[in-house]
Amino acid sequence: MTDELFTPTIKDAKVPTRPPWNPDSIIYPAFFGGPLAGSVLGFLNGRKLLLSRSHLLLIAGTGTVAFAARAALTATVLPSYARSIVAAIAGVVVWLVVAALQRKAFRAAIQNGRDAVSLVGPGIAASIGFGVLEFAFIYGVLL
Amino acid sequence: MSGIGLKRAQALLMADRPQEALRELATLSAEEAMHPGAFYLRAAAFSQLDQHAETVTAARQGLEAGGPDPDLFQLIGDAERQQGHLEAAEQALLSGLSLAPNHLGLLCSYAAACMAANQLGKAAKLVERAAAQAPTAAAVYAIRIQLAYTRGEDRKAQEIAREFVAEYPESAAAHALLGGTSANRGQVREADAGARQAVAADPTVGDYAELALETRIARHPLMTPVRPFIRFGPIKTWIAAIAIIYGLRMLKMPMLAGVFAIGWFLLCVYSWVVPPLVRRWMKRRYRAF
Repeated sequence: MTDELFTPTIKDAKVPTRPPWNPDSIIYPAFFGGPLAGSVLGFLNGRKLLLSRSHLLLIAGTGTVAFAARAALTATVLPSYARSIVAAIAGVVVWLVVAALQRKAFRAAIQNGRDAVSLVGPGIAASIGFGVLEFAFIYGVLL
Repeated sequence: MSGIGLKRAQALLMADRPQEALRELATLSAEEAMHPGAFYLRAAAFSQLDQHAETVTAARQGLEAGGPDPDLFQLIGDAERQQGHLEAAEQALLSGLSLAPNHLGLLCSYAAACMAANQLGKAAKLVERAAAQAPTAAAVYAIRIQLAYTRGEDRKAQEIAREFVAEYPESAAAHALLGGTSANRGQVREADAGARQAVAADPTVGDYAELALETRIARHPLMTPVRPFIRFGPIKTWIAAIAIIYGLRMLKMPMLAGVFAIGWFLLCVYSWVVPPLVRRWMKRRYRAF
C-alpha cells in the first residue's frame, strides 16, 4: 500500500493519560481567585493535556504578567472601587489564553474514553489560596 | 448468515437489544457458535453495551475463526480507542484498511482515532475521503460533526447536524447530535428538543437519555440567570458587563455602576455554585425511579 494516509502516525504520538479539567471551567477560579489561580490551574491542566513547552510557558508567563500588572495598577493609579474588578479582569485575561491554547487538545482528549474530572474542589481551593496570597502581597507588601 | 439462532441474534442487535442478543448467542449449537458471524455479533453486542475489553476479545476470536475481516477490525479499533489504547486502535484499523481501503466505517473510525490523538489534519483528510465516497451516509455526517467539534467550530458542527436531521429525520443519532451541538452553543431549547426526539426515536440508548437529562437540567428555572453565559459565551458577556459598569461611571452614575457591579459579582457566584447543585439534585431525582 503506497497510500500516505494509511501509514501509522499515532504510534509515536503521546496521548494524555490523566483525566483533564474542562478548560472552560477555569474561568471561575480565575475570576474569583485572580490571575495566579487561573494560570496555576491552567498550567497543571496543560501538563495533563500534554501541551508543548512553549504553550505551558506562555500560560505561566501570562499569569505572571497579569499578576504584576494587577499589583502595579492597584498599588499606584487605581481608585479603590476599581481594584477588585481589575483582579477579576486580570484573571479572565489569563483564562482567555488558557482556553485558547487548550480547547482543541481537551476536546481530542475526551474522545479516547476519558471523561473530564470536576474542577469544583481544586477550583475553590485555588481561588481561596491564591486569592489570599495575591491580596496579602499587594496589601501587605506593596501598600 | 446461516442458522435461525444467528438470524435471531442479528435481529435483536439491530433492534438495539444487545443483552438479549448475547443471551441468544449463548444458546447456539457448538457448530453455529464457531461461525465467524457469531463472533461478529457477539463483538457488536458488547460494543453496543460499551463493554470495550469484551468487544476486543470477541472480535479477535472472530479473526482467529474466520480470518481477516474489515468489520471486525473496525470493532476492535473503536473499542481500543474508547479504552485509550490509540496505538492498538490504529494498528487494527490499518489492518482493516489494508484489506478494504475504501471501507467507509474504517475510514471514519480511523479519523476518530486520529482526532483522539489530536492529529486533526490527518483526521480531516480521512473524513474528506469518506465524504467523497458517500456524502450523505449517516456515518459521514456523524464524523464531520465530530471533526468540527474537535476543531472548536461549534457553529459549523451544528450546521452539519441540521443537514443530518434533514437527510435522516427518523434517525435518533441525528437528533441527538443536533441536540448536543445546540447545547454546545448554549441554545437550550433546541438542545432539549433534539435530545427528546432522540430518546423518542430510540429509548434504548443510554447516551441519549443522559443527554436529555443534561438538556433538561439546562432548562431548569434555577438555571435561567446563567443562560447568558452559556448562550453568548463568557467573553461577550464579560465585555458587555465591563462596558456597562464603566459606561455608567463615565455617565456620572457611580451609584448605579456600583449596584450593577455587585449584581454582576453575585451573578458570577451564582453561576459557579448553583448549576452543580441543580445537576446533582435533578440526577438524584431521576435516578430514584
